[in-house]
Amino acid sequence: MVWQKEDKYAYEIFLEKHKIILVFFALLFIFISVRLFYLQVIKGNHYRRVSDQQRMYNTHERAPRGIIYSDNGSMMVVNDFSYVALFYPFEQQETPSDETIEQLSVILKRDIKPSIDKSWRYGRVVKLADNLTMEEMFKIQEKKLVLSGISVVKEPKRVYSFSEQNSHVTGYTGEIRADEIERLSEYGYKMGDYVGRGGVEQQYDAYLQGTDGGWQLEVNAKGHQTKAFKYIPPEIGASVHLTVNQNLQNAAYDALKNSATGRGAVVVLDTKTGAVKALVSSPGFDTNSAGTKEFLRYLNDKKNLPLFNRALQALYPPGSIFKIITFVAATEVLNINPKEADYCTGSFELGNRWYTCWLKTGHGRVNLISATAQSCNIYFYDLGLKLGVRNLEKYARKFYIGERTGIDLPNEKKGFIPTPEWKKSLFKMSWLQGDTVILAIGQGALDVTPLQMAAMISAVANKGVYYRPYIVDNIVNIKGEEVYKHTVRTRDTIDLSDRTWDLLHRSLIETVDNGTGRRSQLPGIKVAGKTGTAQNPQKIDHAWFVTFAPADNPEIAIAVIVEHGGGGGLNAVPIAKKIYEAYFGIEPEEEDTAEKQKGKKQ
Amino acid sequence: MIHEKGFFQRFINAVDLWLFTALVILVLIGVFAIYSASFNYGVSSKYITVQTAAFFLGLICMFVAAGLNYQYYKQFDKVIYIFSLVLLVSVLIFGVTVNGAKRWISFGPLSFQPVEITKLIYILVISSFLDKNWKNIRKPSALAYTFAILMGHFALIMMQPAFSSTLPYFLVTLVLLYVAGAEPFYLLCVSLFCGLTVGIPLFIEFLKLQEFVIYPVSQLGHFINSIQDNVMGIFYVAVIIIAVIFAVWWFLWKLKTKISIIYPILLGFAIMFGFTASMSVEKSLKDYQRKRMVVFLYPETDSRGAGYNVIQSKIAMGSGKISGKGFLKGTQTQLGFLPEQHTDFIFSVIGEEGGWLVSQTIILLYFIFIWRALVIAREARDRYGSLVAIGIAAMFAFYVVINISMVTGLMPVAGVPLLFLSYGGSSMVSSMIAVGILFSIHMRRYTYY
Repeated sequence: MVWQKEDKYAYEIFLEKHKIILVFFALLFIFISVRLFYLQVIKGNHYRRVSDQQRMYNTHERAPRGIIYSDNGSMMVVNDFSYVALFYPFEQQETPSDETIEQLSVILKRDIKPSIDKSWRYGRVVKLADNLTMEEMFKIQEKKLVLSGISVVKEPKRVYSFSEQNSHVTGYTGEIRADEIERLSEYGYKMGDYVGRGGVEQQYDAYLQGTDGGWQLEVNAKGHQTKAFKYIPPEIGASVHLTVNQNLQNAAYDALKNSATGRGAVVVLDTKTGAVKALVSSPGFDTNSAGTKEFLRYLNDKKNLPLFNRALQALYPPGSIFKIITFVAATEVLNINPKEADYCTGSFELGNRWYTCWLKTGHGRVNLISATAQSCNIYFYDLGLKLGVRNLEKYARKFYIGERTGIDLPNEKKGFIPTPEWKKSLFKMSWLQGDTVILAIGQGALDVTPLQMAAMISAVANKGVYYRPYIVDNIVNIKGEEVYKHTVRTRDTIDLSDRTWDLLHRSLIETVDNGTGRRSQLPGIKVAGKTGTAQNPQKIDHAWFVTFAPADNPEIAIAVIVEHGGGGGLNAVPIAKKIYEAYFGIEPEEEDTAEKQKGKKQ
Repeated sequence: MIHEKGFFQRFINAVDLWLFTALVILVLIGVFAIYSASFNYGVSSKYITVQTAAFFLGLICMFVAAGLNYQYYKQFDKVIYIFSLVLLVSVLIFGVTVNGAKRWISFGPLSFQPVEITKLIYILVISSFLDKNWKNIRKPSALAYTFAILMGHFALIMMQPAFSSTLPYFLVTLVLLYVAGAEPFYLLCVSLFCGLTVGIPLFIEFLKLQEFVIYPVSQLGHFINSIQDNVMGIFYVAVIIIAVIFAVWWFLWKLKTKISIIYPILLGFAIMFGFTASMSVEKSLKDYQRKRMVVFLYPETDSRGAGYNVIQSKIAMGSGKISGKGFLKGTQTQLGFLPEQHTDFIFSVIGEEGGWLVSQTIILLYFIFIWRALVIAREARDRYGSLVAIGIAAMFAFYVVINISMVTGLMPVAGVPLLFLSYGGSSMVSSMIAVGILFSIHMRRYTYY
């Protein structure tokens, strides 16, 4: 075939070019086919995911956190609901209009600034204001037409009972902070979640957190909802049952709050298990105010530090209550004869320095038991010198001083026992006998927490059985299954001779019966204890008292400290007595003001 | 008009079944796709009615065009060229302004886009010119005449403005010139000139855009800035390139590979003019226009602005995977993420709901169509018929390739419809007329005169 009336040659040239054109078009089509194959077959899964992502939107309904119960089943924290104003845009806009914000600010009388994060996309909710009252909510509902895109939703809110008393046991909750999100996101936390801060709320956050629910929606390009797929109801977190007794907790807190300075800590342990019956740090704070402006008041109170859990975070010199350790070491190592008397003149010379007893006139003739009961320093200086620092350190370690008790509460401190090595490395000075002497009466660089002292006195009460203190007994999830149960474990049995235990118990009973701890005497119940008056670099002494009762068959052990409260016998002991009264159900007797004035400084 | 007896008999015998079947399948798929694309807007029935009506109107036009002897077009080339110019001028005068552009002429409820007709007329006229001047085709003057004819349309279309419609014009002209026997080197120079004119501003914009993506080699960034600050900078580049070309030529000359000096000189002129023209284009293009032209390379830099269409279209195509999401089940389409669903982005609708299987089938059908058009060109009884058929084949090929490249993110988004598939009466009718012309050529391949 050729073109008519044309040269055959011209047609052949044309055919050549025709072929090239055909090949050229074929290449073009192969090119777009390759692209198609790449997009749809190779990258298909990726794009399918992207397309699903941009059409799916989950509304978020926060799950209430679990309930925290005290030992008799009373609720220490419950969930209420508060109302939150949200901006849910139905158009492709990132922020609510200025008028809307203005209107809302007027209604709520607050300064509202919408915070938009970088990952914002169509249909995402922005929180504008929380903790709305019912009236505010209704006001917003009334003006719904003006306030476009604003909706009010219910959000669970924590309500604590006895919030101040329990503040350091329960802790509180707060919205996750930007600096935490990176660390917490691998545990499934996300921006806007609430996490526990302090106390059980923090320690058992993973159990208390519920499973959030909400609607899974499909939205179109404009962010309008097109259909709802399913509703997942939020699931409340697991219930946490504590060993804490609310009565004891209240008694301890009230007594402490009304003490000399109102600052201090009390720890009450069940001697038979190590369960925390009360744990108080004063001053406490109102956990219900967390997240509000009032809460700043606590943060800014640099004097009282109400957010600081003194019971396990504060380090104090133990003072005379450390004499229990010296006592134990002396009876074990030196095999002291309790009848053997020593003489207290009120002062003690060592090298060129004079160490005085707290009673300037001296105690006169004292033996092991009366020296303990009267808390005679001279006698214990002497014991300390005879024992040496190594023995003191060894017996202090036996009672786990300088180590965490391992309680299931956050941020527990370790405490500290000074040693010659430590002094050498820190001050480039060698350990002197004077250091040993003051260590023997619990002064110097020695640091303990009230919780450690409670655990120590509890072990003394048990004649050596040291239980690990704990505060959460069991946790039950929404299905009623027990997901956690504390098993009582003895950390150690401190192996001392029966003679030592008997002597120690006798001395501690004597302390309450005739010594510095007289103010904790109870009708019909024998109490044992040891007072302490810890000197410290800041002005007034700390008042200590560690005690257990009944002395013959101990049930509870108590450690009390009143920060800068002065003498232990006068200031700490009455607090323990109030707790005993609450525990044993004894009617409190009229306070004998006369005796109070007469009381000696311990 | 043909009045011979048994026209339909002859038509049925002569019709290219491959081509016609491919066409009918494409239109059918298109109707389904348009139905799906407009489903959520509640205008499906209206759109498919219009599209089907346009198809049947097109079918009539196709028969008429098939009946008309295509050689008349050559005879009356001047008349139809003037007619096309009149159409383009009248759209500027009587046209309806939509989105800031005058592209439509309305007659009561009916409206059409003259450019859809004039692109066919242009093929007929330019083929006629090339056929008549085939002996002189290697001369630059023939090239100049050809581009003069092109400029008539080009200028008027740019005044609408409808830049995207002119792209196939250029490409078709180049293909026809090549087939008609023009010197390929001249075509290279012309392409180089056009490429530089449009390419340089876009290249600069592309480099600027890249700064946001991979932070630049500081040398390069410096250089770009100096070009923008100093107009002369761009000429230094041109001079360097031309110097290199001459050096290569001289080197080859020394190696006894003798090439006429005219070639490097012409190349140099093309580059020089290209660079010069690019400066004025650079100035006349607005920032957003330039950005829109290159954003397809990095759509994420403006995912809610200029890059939105490309991103959504790629998501739609890709998420269809191999077998698609199913008819009316495409979330990109039905939830309105995909823009311009029933017109320029109809292929994305098909890609999402039909998957790779259907979209690749469509590419195959188009290729069959173009292959048959080229077969018709080869079997035509004269050079004019061959040229017209090749012109039509090239036009279809470029429309398809440009549209699909655009929706798959290989080219900037330009308003180029997918012929037979995109919603639109004018392009449907004109495409059918083009097929009619192909049939007219095919039917008369054995007619001797």
